[in-house]
Amino acid sequence: MKDLLLIFISTLLINNLVLSYFLGICPFLGVSGKIESAFGMGMAVTFVMTLATSIGWLIYNLILLKFGLFYLEYVVFILVIASLVQIVEMFIRRYSSSLYQSLGIYLPLITTNCAILGSALFMVTRNYRFLEAVVFGFSGGLGFSLVILIMAGIREEVQYVNIPRIFRGAALTLITAGLLALIFMGFAGLIAS
Amino acid sequence: MSKIIIPILVLGLTGFVFSLLLALLSKKLKVEEDSRVGKILELLPGLNCGACGFSGCRAFAEAVTGKCDVFSGCLPATAEVNKQIAQTLGLIGCTSPHTKVVICHCLAKQGEKKVSSKYLGPNTCRAANISGGVIDCAYGCLALGDCLRVCPVGALSLREQAIDVDFKKCTGCGACLKACPRNLFELVPAKQGLPIYNVACSNRETALEVKKVCSKGCIGCTLCTKVEDSAYQMKNNLSTIDYQKGENQKALEEGKNKCPTKCITSSYKL
Repeated sequence: MKDLLLIFISTLLINNLVLSYFLGICPFLGVSGKIESAFGMGMAVTFVMTLATSIGWLIYNLILLKFGLFYLEYVVFILVIASLVQIVEMFIRRYSSSLYQSLGIYLPLITTNCAILGSALFMVTRNYRFLEAVVFGFSGGLGFSLVILIMAGIREEVQYVNIPRIFRGAALTLITAGLLALIFMGFAGLIAS
Repeated sequence: MSKIIIPILVLGLTGFVFSLLLALLSKKLKVEEDSRVGKILELLPGLNCGACGFSGCRAFAEAVTGKCDVFSGCLPATAEVNKQIAQTLGLIGCTSPHTKVVICHCLAKQGEKKVSSKYLGPNTCRAANISGGVIDCAYGCLALGDCLRVCPVGALSLREQAIDVDFKKCTGCGACLKACPRNLFELVPAKQGLPIYNVACSNRETALEVKKVCSKGCIGCTLCTKVEDSAYQMKNNLSTIDYQKGENQKALEEGKNKCPTKCITSSYKL
């Protein structure tokens, strides 16, 4: 239980996939314009990441390792992620067309979101057990959602500020992201190992 | 041999299982789409210019289905296309020819704009505007063609360093409004067969300052506003046309002829 909690906290805050591994930067910068769509994106990524790590774990440990085919992990994980994204897309399109429109191109792009493939590969290299892998995937997704929501909140407020012209747009977004990453460095001392 | 076959089988089977799942779910979660959306999309010019206020042609087609009030939104579409869309929607009666074109508020040519420095920076107006180079006038057209590059229909061209708008081609999408770093463009109403008047200057300085940098600028002499029933108004040392009042062609023409620097122009939309 303690292990699981440790994994949860450390993936959520300390080893945040976005801000300390710099994975999934594309949607992090692209969909963080509005809180609403950032929330949708975060939820979609959380869903896909949890499922991708758990199904990836099952396939890797039960099928690939049994036949000694560990070198297929990349291909299989991408296969899993791609199909999951398709399923999520169908669900969102069916049940929330406004979310579907606001996510736009970024929804199919979850397929190539390196945070998800990254979490699946980390799960393998860190030799997690099944439950640990599920918690890792879930907290990784939550960490992504947390960061993208903070970013969206900041960017929504920043719109009302008179910014010097050269800093407007992408420049300020990147600076904000960098400062956020610095802030998240502060969590490094949270757990004494 | 098994070293090849087993990986192929494993990968193939996983792929097969997932594709089966996807096939089943796609049938179960199918979204019914109005067939008219596709038809309208085919009719539309497909420029994705966003002038209608929607994010693109597709969003417009979806919004338009069944609603007459947003229907008239597509500016680049010709009257014929809009008619066909109306027929597709069963809304014969709402027609809308495109009524707005863009004009450029600086038409000073090479030689008229004073140049006292040589600009060697990147070949875009946006970059040149930061350094303030190219021409002496801080308001005028830099003539490096940012607007030419964004125009989806190629209605803009440069002639002797001045912007030339082809009103036949211009659809009033407003892409150039965003591209111009000096905000020289304006969307104005255009009527068939009537000339479009334009005060082709944006310099808000006093006459002395304007004369220093351009021989064709508006010097704020207010002569055009003094014509009877004039649609010209003075704003920040600059004559502007109130296009709501723009019906009175005679007063507009008279004001144009009064202009000492010949900076008010008129041209026809055919």
